[in-house]
Amino acid sequence: MKLKDIFITSAFTENSVWRQILGICSALAVTNLMKNSLIMGLGVIFTLAFANLTISFIRNWTPRSVRMMVQTLVIASYVIIVDIFLKANMPEISKQLGPYVGLIITNCILMGRAEAFASQNKPLDSFIDGIGAGVGYTLVLLVISFIRELFGFGSIFGIQVMGDWWTPWSIMVMAPSAFFILAMLIWHINTRFYKAKV
Amino acid sequence: MKDSFLFPIVFMLIMVVIFVGILAVMYRLSEEKIAAYQQDVFQRQVLALMVGKIAEATNEDVSAILDAILESYELYVKAVNTEGLERQTFIAQVADSTVAYCFEIKGKGLWGSMKALVSTTTDFRTIVDFAIVEQMETPGLGARIEEDWFLAQFRDRLFVQSPDAEDITSSYEFIAETQVPEREDQLKRVTGATITSDSVVKMLRNEFNHIYRYMQDYRS
Repeated sequence: MKLKDIFITSAFTENSVWRQILGICSALAVTNLMKNSLIMGLGVIFTLAFANLTISFIRNWTPRSVRMMVQTLVIASYVIIVDIFLKANMPEISKQLGPYVGLIITNCILMGRAEAFASQNKPLDSFIDGIGAGVGYTLVLLVISFIRELFGFGSIFGIQVMGDWWTPWSIMVMAPSAFFILAMLIWHINTRFYKAKV
Repeated sequence: MKDSFLFPIVFMLIMVVIFVGILAVMYRLSEEKIAAYQQDVFQRQVLALMVGKIAEATNEDVSAILDAILESYELYVKAVNTEGLERQTFIAQVADSTVAYCFEIKGKGLWGSMKALVSTTTDFRTIVDFAIVEQMETPGLGARIEEDWFLAQFRDRLFVQSPDAEDITSSYEFIAETQVPEREDQLKRVTGATITSDSVVKMLRNEFNHIYRYMQDYRS
């Protein structure tokens, strides 16, 4: 499989959110602002890519009985490395990220890709798969947060686009709105592009 | 070899040693840098909360005082030992006269503890300025208590009514974020974060009363 195909499959054809229904918790929690979604997405792309790369490098020596423990260790270590690096070298960005860096550990897409792809494929392929899965996840977050921020705050990336006439929809700011937007997104994509039966 | 009893244990141990070692080295190398940055941010916040009163007393420009952060902090801000209060206390002094106090206060939010810095007038009854230092609230919801429009409502607000430290917050009326306040006693809540917004007011009320009573005894 070519690297381009790996990326397209991982990001779109077999997207972690709309095809595998993974990473739903964070998709619901962080999507009320586009900035939050982008930051979370970038953190996940970085961690997924490097965790996949490392897990793939050591796959031939990793015993099956402890493979998931090793995967968790690698993922958690990368998340902490990102956290320390940002705190020391980019403190402003670190402050903006707040709890998001820590939240990356809980994202099930990371374990999913480590187990399904990185533990069975070459390092470069796994690295591209990680980037693809991260990009696909970020795309979903941005679509949901675009709708929520626009209707909930009248803004896009914090820039006010709706005038004073606009009455913000409070429900869009709260988590329940993400439930039905995500559900409609999954339903639409699956019926439109995968011919899934309703 | 991979199927032997010992290999998985040894392998796991090696992996733990490698990764924990990398993290420990990284942390040690960054520790000083992180601490220096945190101290710098803290000092900036303390000075920023009292800068209005310092500028009033010195007739200097606010931005000029803030631009020379290190010199201004050295010149005007002093840490005070308030034994028994158990809260970091700072004073802003201009020509040996105290113009404002700043306290580190603590409270409980929806998901965890909150830390804030609040500067007060010298009678400890009115907030001069207020900033959230640490909070564990939901990003995009409760975490929005750090936004300036929310904090600005507390500036120059009386929090201790009388020498008996009567609770003034019970007379406050809470309104939605989208509403325009019509009276002085109206406070906006962050949309979708009612408990967090109320927790901020509760923290200020409790801490202010505690500080007010302590400082009365401390002075006497």
